This record gives sequence, C-alpha cells and structure tokens, in this order.
Amino acid sequence: MACPYLEYREADEERSFETARAYCTAVDAFVQPMRADICNDRYELDHTTDCEFYRNAER
Amino acid sequence: MSYDDYLAGDPVVITAALTGGVHGKEASPHLPETPEEIADAAEACEAAGASVVHLHARRENGERSFSRERFQELTDAVRERTDLIVQHSTGGTGAPDDIRHEPLRTDPAPDMASLDMGPLNRYQHLTSENTRGLVESLAEEMRERGIKPEMEVFNGGHLNEVHELLDRRPDLLEEPIYTTLIFGGGTTAMPTPDTFRSLVNHLPRGAQFNTLGFGQHQLPFGAMGIVFGGHVRVGLEDNRYFRQGELATNAQLVERAATLAETLQRPVATPDDAREILDI
Repeated sequence: MACPYLEYREADEERSFETARAYCTAVDAFVQPMRADICNDRYELDHTTDCEFYRNAER
Repeated sequence: MSYDDYLAGDPVVITAALTGGVHGKEASPHLPETPEEIADAAEACEAAGASVVHLHARRENGERSFSRERFQELTDAVRERTDLIVQHSTGGTGAPDDIRHEPLRTDPAPDMASLDMGPLNRYQHLTSENTRGLVESLAEEMRERGIKPEMEVFNGGHLNEVHELLDRRPDLLEEPIYTTLIFGGGTTAMPTPDTFRSLVNHLPRGAQFNTLGFGQHQLPFGAMGIVFGGHVRVGLEDNRYFRQGELATNAQLVERAATLAETLQRPVATPDDAREILDI
C-alpha cells in the first residue's frame, strides 16, 4: 500500500513536468525518484519504517 | 598508480555518470531521464572527451527501473549514437538481490558494470546492504558474461573488501583491477587529500583507479585523480552544479574535466584508448 502522503502531480508553484511525478504532501515537495520507491512500498521498502517524512508526520 | 604515472603522461579515462538513480528532474532540468535524453547527453559527452558512460535505467516518470528491458532500450539508444564504453549500474538501495542482476543481462552485455563493495547509508532509515554474497554473485555473473567490474569503493572499509575478494576469489577479477574511489559526505570517504592519498596508497598492486567526488568535491578530487595517475568520473549523477548557484549540463562537466587533464598535460583517452587501458 502506498504512503497516504503520496500524490502524483505535474506541477507545483515553481515547476512543471511533462509526466506526473511523486509529490510528498507531508513536506510539500516533489521527492527524489529513489524516495518515490519508498512512497510506493516497492521492492523491499516500506514507507512506515523507511521514510523519515512519514514517521515525522505521524508523530 | 602514482605520481609517476602522471609524469608518464598516460591518458585519462573520463567516465560520464549521466543520470543516476537517486535524484531526477526535480533536482535539475538538465538531468536526462528517458533513453533519448540519455543518448543525447552521451553523444554530447563523447564529443566533450568522455570514453565511458555510466548508465541507470528509469521508468517513464523518472523513477528507478532495474528491468532488463529498460536497460536494453537505454543501451541500444546509447550504442546507436556513440562509441562509448557502456557501463551499467547494478546499484539499487532497497531492491532485492535477484533484480540487481538484471542490468547484466542485456544483449550485448554491457562492457562494464558497477560493483558496490559494501554497505552505505541512505536517508535516515535505509542502508544499501551490498552483502558479500551479493557482491560475489554479481561478480560471478560479470565474469561469465565478460563484463569488467567497476568496483565502487565508498570508504576505506570497502577497499578492505576489494582485497578480501581478490584473496577469496581471484578467479573473478582480471587485471587490471578497476576501482572507483568515492569522496563526499555520509558513508563515502572523507573528502580530504589525506584520505585520498591513503586510499590510493592501499590499492591492490597494479590496480587502476577512477576518482569520484560528490557535489563540490567533483572538481578538486578530479584534479587529484589526474595528478596521481588515476582517472576521473564526472556528471549530474554526482554533482548538479558547474559552480556555486549555476546548474551544469553533463557535457559541461566532461568538457571541464578534459580541459583540466590537458592543462595538466595528460591526454584525454578516446574510447579506443580506454578499451586498451582497461583491457576491454
């Protein structure tokens, strides 16, 4: 299950992209592609344990 | 390798690390993500003096991909446009061991592939483990497919692992041994001249070394690599800036490294020169 703070957006106030990219609503920023794998719980990753943004937001 | 190798005036192999798997266009609009963008950048870097291209594959939206199919599409695009030595990344924080082998399985096989020599921390709660078992199984497949390992040494402990692998499995590695010494923050080697000299002094006998400095360390550590007889890796995977506040392109970073080498009176290797130096 993907992180509840994950959205895919094509733009923010400063930039726009041709393809929607991973955006973290916990920190209000586009996230790095490597971090997007955590957001999506891909491979052996788990946002509840591996992401400090999620953990800080849930405190 | 040493200052004597610098004085001998041997050519410098410049590797262009075009895209990586950590950041993407959210970090720099110049960072290529699609096969076509990466092939464009590779062609420009070859013209600027690169002889090796270090490749990571991505999905349509820039996120990481480890699939053989995505690497195939990427390597085909680069091979169609350049004569560069193709080096696939096998790195992959959080990815299961079996899919770390996928980048080795393109047709043709890559000329080279990265081999991360041990663990490194990522973000606050992640470690890319790179166990000895994984390192050895990747090296075995590289050996079977005729792929030269680029052993990535993120710190002094990883250099121990290079020696240990040579002792344990000398059948896996052919001379010249090729290492990349990595300097910056976090788990990488401390970015100081003393650390650089120490790592170079403790390389296996006859080993070639490539020099990778992250961020602001890319330029000075590239210069040290050139002066001490090594090779240089540059590109947006490791450093997004040409100078403070000014975003770079891959070709600008390669051109600067080539100019630096020529100024220091070491010729820049062509792809054919690099094949001879690395015995590919």
